[in-house]
Amino acid sequence: MNAIGDTDQTTATPLAERRPILTARDLVKEFDVGGATLHAVNDVNFTIRQGEIVGMVGESGSGKSTIGRLVLSLLKQTSGDVTFDGENLASLSDKALRALRARMQIVFQDPWSALNPRMSVGRQIGEPLLLHTNLSRSERRQRVERLAERVRLPAKFLSRTPAELSGGQLQRVCIARAIATEPELVVLDEPTSSLDLSVRAGILELLAELRRELGVAMLFISHDLGTVKLISDRIIVLYLGTIVEEGPASLVFGAPAHPYTQALMSAHLPPNPRAPLKRHVLEGEVPSPINLPKGCRFASRCPVALPECSDSLPPLVATGEEDRRAACIRIADGGNRLNL
Amino acid sequence: MTLLAIDNLETDFVSRTLDDEIRVAHALNKVSFEVNRGEIVGLVGETGAGKSLTAQSVLGLLRAPARVVGGEAVFDGRDLLTLPPAEMNELRGYEIGLVVQNPRTSLDPLCRIGDQLVRMQRAHRPVNGRVARKKAVDMLAAVGIPEPERRMRAWPHELSGGMAQRVLMAMALINEPRLLIADEPTTGLDVTVQAAILDLLRQIVLERSMGALIITHDLGVVAHYCERVAVMFAGSIVEEGTVDAVFETPSHPYTRALLSATPERLKLGSGRQLGGPPPDLYNLPIGCHYRDRCERVRDICTTPPPATDLGEGHRVQCHFAKDLEGQPL
Ligand SMILES: Nc1ncnc2c1ncn2[C@@H]1O[C@H](COP(=O)(O)OP(=O)(O)O)[C@@H](O)[C@H]1O
Ligand SMILES: Nc1ncnc2c1ncn2[C@@H]1O[C@H](COP(=O)(O)OP(=O)(O)O)[C@@H](O)[C@H]1O
Ligand code: SF4
Ligand code: SF4
Ligand SMILES: [Mg+2]
Ligand SMILES: [Mg+2]
Repeated sequence: MNAIGDTDQTTATPLAERRPILTARDLVKEFDVGGATLHAVNDVNFTIRQGEIVGMVGESGSGKSTIGRLVLSLLKQTSGDVTFDGENLASLSDKALRALRARMQIVFQDPWSALNPRMSVGRQIGEPLLLHTNLSRSERRQRVERLAERVRLPAKFLSRTPAELSGGQLQRVCIARAIATEPELVVLDEPTSSLDLSVRAGILELLAELRRELGVAMLFISHDLGTVKLISDRIIVLYLGTIVEEGPASLVFGAPAHPYTQALMSAHLPPNPRAPLKRHVLEGEVPSPINLPKGCRFASRCPVALPECSDSLPPLVATGEEDRRAACIRIADGGNRLNL
Repeated sequence: MTLLAIDNLETDFVSRTLDDEIRVAHALNKVSFEVNRGEIVGLVGETGAGKSLTAQSVLGLLRAPARVVGGEAVFDGRDLLTLPPAEMNELRGYEIGLVVQNPRTSLDPLCRIGDQLVRMQRAHRPVNGRVARKKAVDMLAAVGIPEPERRMRAWPHELSGGMAQRVLMAMALINEPRLLIADEPTTGLDVTVQAAILDLLRQIVLERSMGALIITHDLGVVAHYCERVAVMFAGSIVEEGTVDAVFETPSHPYTRALLSATPERLKLGSGRQLGGPPPDLYNLPIGCHYRDRCERVRDICTTPPPATDLGEGHRVQCHFAKDLEGQPL
């Protein structure tokens, strides 16, 4: 393994030309809830390229966390495939999958519950090294110290237990642990949602730096639109377990195509009283994932829905601008624009 | 017209160490600000700044070892801080509506939504049952709850987070209070739900010319829903003013750091340190309490900074407020 933090990836190949590190194909996840079937993830397709940060947004219950776990094989899909660096995860033996885990890691929202309260944080950062490498005890120790330095965690904290650290410091511990084995992909599930603004800023700064210097790809899950916009190259918008729009961050935020994306973005409140709000408050409730509507899943709340929207599920198709895709039948005739 | 005037509010935590020494934490330090009729005031600051404690102090909800040790909070000619508990209980929930942080714990899990709304009305005035139920249904409809009649029979655990928050808002508003204090009313909710709840709050504040204090750490909420804002750090109001003045000419280094840390203004790669540990309330720095974290700190900052008035109620507690006013972030 090469040393952490010594390479600069900024001059590397443009994102669009890079090799996919992760591909999800026709991914479906159903949960059995008291005899009924809950459709949490429905035919989801996407790709994450090397060193790319993909932001995933959508209301709570839209399937973000489930997808995050599926792509890391922490949860077994009902159908569909996840391919990591060319290998179909489902076809791997347990042993091969365990080895692959060193190359894909996860960071959760709540660092308090992600860490063992009785173990020193230094030992917890070193755990993946114990699991996945043959490093000696002293080599591991050295590496943990470098990792702490990498995430700007003062070395004196390494011997302490989680209770002695602040939320921001604990999230740095979780990130250090996640990058210990130099993974190529890290899934971050709401990593900054429980942190104060200034602490959050420090974590975002760190993540951007890790991507730049280590070239690690990230699936960044969050319901905070401002944060996702800042950190992501590409955005995936979910509604009821279905991708409704996907594309470059600037395009999805700047000129959202799908009516749901438009409504979602319009509810975001930038911290600037002069920024005009073009609010579009959605009426009605999100349908139950147990009784998914047959046609467009957004039809019951969509202000520009037509009767035929409920006939069949609109496919996710290219909109013609850059590499953006959206799933709305009204994009073709321009009827997708909400009167914002 | 002023509805609530908090003036030099001071709250301490008094505890005893194992060696029987008395320790005092100054949790709120000379907190002053006002809420007028027909306006929403935002109280912002990082976790632990003392925002919830301010609300609890004003509403007589402090629990030992916290204790108000100075100041006043005048509502309708009466100082809430010295009001006998019985009178405070009469005001709270009737003339002053309250939405506490964390909706899950503030609804009675064993009582249907409708019954809670009726009970809330009867706690203060004798009301005919049918009238009270009718009013409860209307209130649920007003806070945007679909099928309000059916929801009257719902149990709290059957509600989604957004619905529970709306029910809390309905509980706080059902007695048509003149003042609403809402502690993080939309934290953790989806932006679409947040928008609906805040729109409703603003509409009610204007229609009834109520006053509202919302405690939040979301600067976007403040920018778009509040008329005025007070910024709190380590138990002190370090800056206050109209939202336009504070967001456009932030003049306290803490406010400036806070604004710079919003994702919309954050410049990744700048290497600028925007946060840091909060000061120890048992051992606050002498002089300016922000000085251990301040980018601008000078020798003079070991003396307490004066409250500098920048005009039109824009007040800043910093030795260099006048220099910082109007400087780009
Ligand atoms: N273990 C589970 N059993 C049953 N339903 C689940 C389980 N995990 C998630 N769900 C359901 O799947 C849907 C997607 O959930 P989730 O992925 O957690 O959404 P998000 O992270 O976007 O909030 C929700 O309807 C949720 O209730
Ligand atoms: N019993 C207590 N003894 C000492 N300090 C306390 C006690 N309870 C709360 N505090 C402190 O009071 C401060 C203010 O808390 P709070 O008002 O809840 O902050 P906010 O609502 O702004 O996050 C915090 O620093 C908290 O640690
Ligand atoms: S397909 Fe129809 S219902 Fe769905 S988003 Fe487009 S216009 Fe709305
Ligand atoms: S008084 Fe000094 S330390 Fe305090 S905020 Fe102003 S410049 Fe910073
Ligand atoms: Mg989730
Ligand atoms: Mg609080």
